[in-house]
Amino acid sequence: MSNTPLLRLDQVHKTYNQGVFNKRITFDLQADFSIQKPAIVGIMGPNGSGKTTLFELITGSNNPSSGQVLCCGQDIHQVRSDQRDRLAIHYHQSYQVRHFRKRRPNFMLQPSQSDYPMVHLFDEPQFNTQDGYIGFMLDFFRRLRSEGRLVFLCVHPNEPFHLQIMREICEQYIFVQKGRLTQAPNFDSLLQNPDVTAYLGELVDGQAA
Amino acid sequence: MALFEAHHLHKRFADQVVLEDITLSFEVNQISGIMGPNGAGKTTCFNVLTGRYRPDRGKVLFDGQDITGLPPRKIARHGIARSFQMMNLFDEYTALENIVLALPEVRAKGFSVLHDLAHDGSAQDRGAAVLARIGLAGREHTLSSALSYGQRRALEIGIALAAEPRMLFLDEPTSGLGTDATATLAALIQEIRKSVTIVIIEHDMKFLFDLADRIAVIHWGQVIAQGSPEALGENEWVRASNLGALA
Repeated sequence: MSNTPLLRLDQVHKTYNQGVFNKRITFDLQADFSIQKPAIVGIMGPNGSGKTTLFELITGSNNPSSGQVLCCGQDIHQVRSDQRDRLAIHYHQSYQVRHFRKRRPNFMLQPSQSDYPMVHLFDEPQFNTQDGYIGFMLDFFRRLRSEGRLVFLCVHPNEPFHLQIMREICEQYIFVQKGRLTQAPNFDSLLQNPDVTAYLGELVDGQAA
Repeated sequence: MALFEAHHLHKRFADQVVLEDITLSFEVNQISGIMGPNGAGKTTCFNVLTGRYRPDRGKVLFDGQDITGLPPRKIARHGIARSFQMMNLFDEYTALENIVLALPEVRAKGFSVLHDLAHDGSAQDRGAAVLARIGLAGREHTLSSALSYGQRRALEIGIALAAEPRMLFLDEPTSGLGTDATATLAALIQEIRKSVTIVIIEHDMKFLFDLADRIAVIHWGQVIAQGSPEALGENEWVRASNLGALA
């Protein structure tokens, strides 16, 4: 098991089409990466770039057009939909969402091999510096990681402290733009990507080391 | 000793997970706090603990007895009372009548109660004693609708106390109260804690940090942190927010 990555996206493609006879691709997401060990991974990208679609593909709530998502070695799209949350959980703002598009009945699918979710995806948690809860949230992310889990933190930075939090807590990053993913091993290399600096705009000033 | 325990509670509404694997325990004669941001699942948690909702999975134990899924009236009979975020008073009755109606011996008489009320000296005395305890002595014959907002909150707690519960759940007791009324309420809770184990859900961090012996922070339907106010207060973000005073 130790060689099995916590999460592997193997040539995952998701395309959305428009039109019935004259098909036209309106959106196309491609993801191919693997994360071996527990980590806190920061996700950023403009609206409509595919961040939430990526999360849905990882939790098994949205089917890929091709490719596989392997959570702890198990193809999550082949797992019973009522047990997929034992592998990965999607948190949207302050709720946990479980919505699955069903392709096949559960009895034809596999049980989950894990009892407790190994991948936790936080989609734009509401950070408010003024109420103090942010501190408990960050500690919670760290606790999950120290218990051997993989945490994704998607933030749409519109204030300098959002970037400070990402820098403080995330060990690696994925930048999503127009359905394409770019990985960065740390914050400084993330900022060397001109697409990232263009996206962050003025927020970058004062962040560069 | 834990008087009340919840083990691995799960609750969903359609595709939203409201509680996931909540485990909590409340010690006898302590004040326990539950806090969390809006929409975190605090009130749902309370509703499961007090029997308004049945958990999908998990167990609730009171004094060692399994009370999971019992209807609220049966839970109340075990000696558990609760207040609501929205108040439930009879506006056309006086403060004393509101309390007397909640006394167990009066409730047991059912419909004949309104006849007897004025003549039932012992019920009147017991009701007056409860009013004195919640700081409303002298207000016996004031219509509940004529009381101030803070006094109505106190009266709500009085109604819960009339049943002489062993355990009292308070849902956002400070909501809608100003600073003075909040301080009065805190003093009232300090007073009644001597005889009853209390659990408070509260959005106001400072109020809880001053009162509670232990606090659980709920978010995303899970307990994301718990500990004494001193331990939780060491978090730099919590300190920076001045216990939410800046919010």
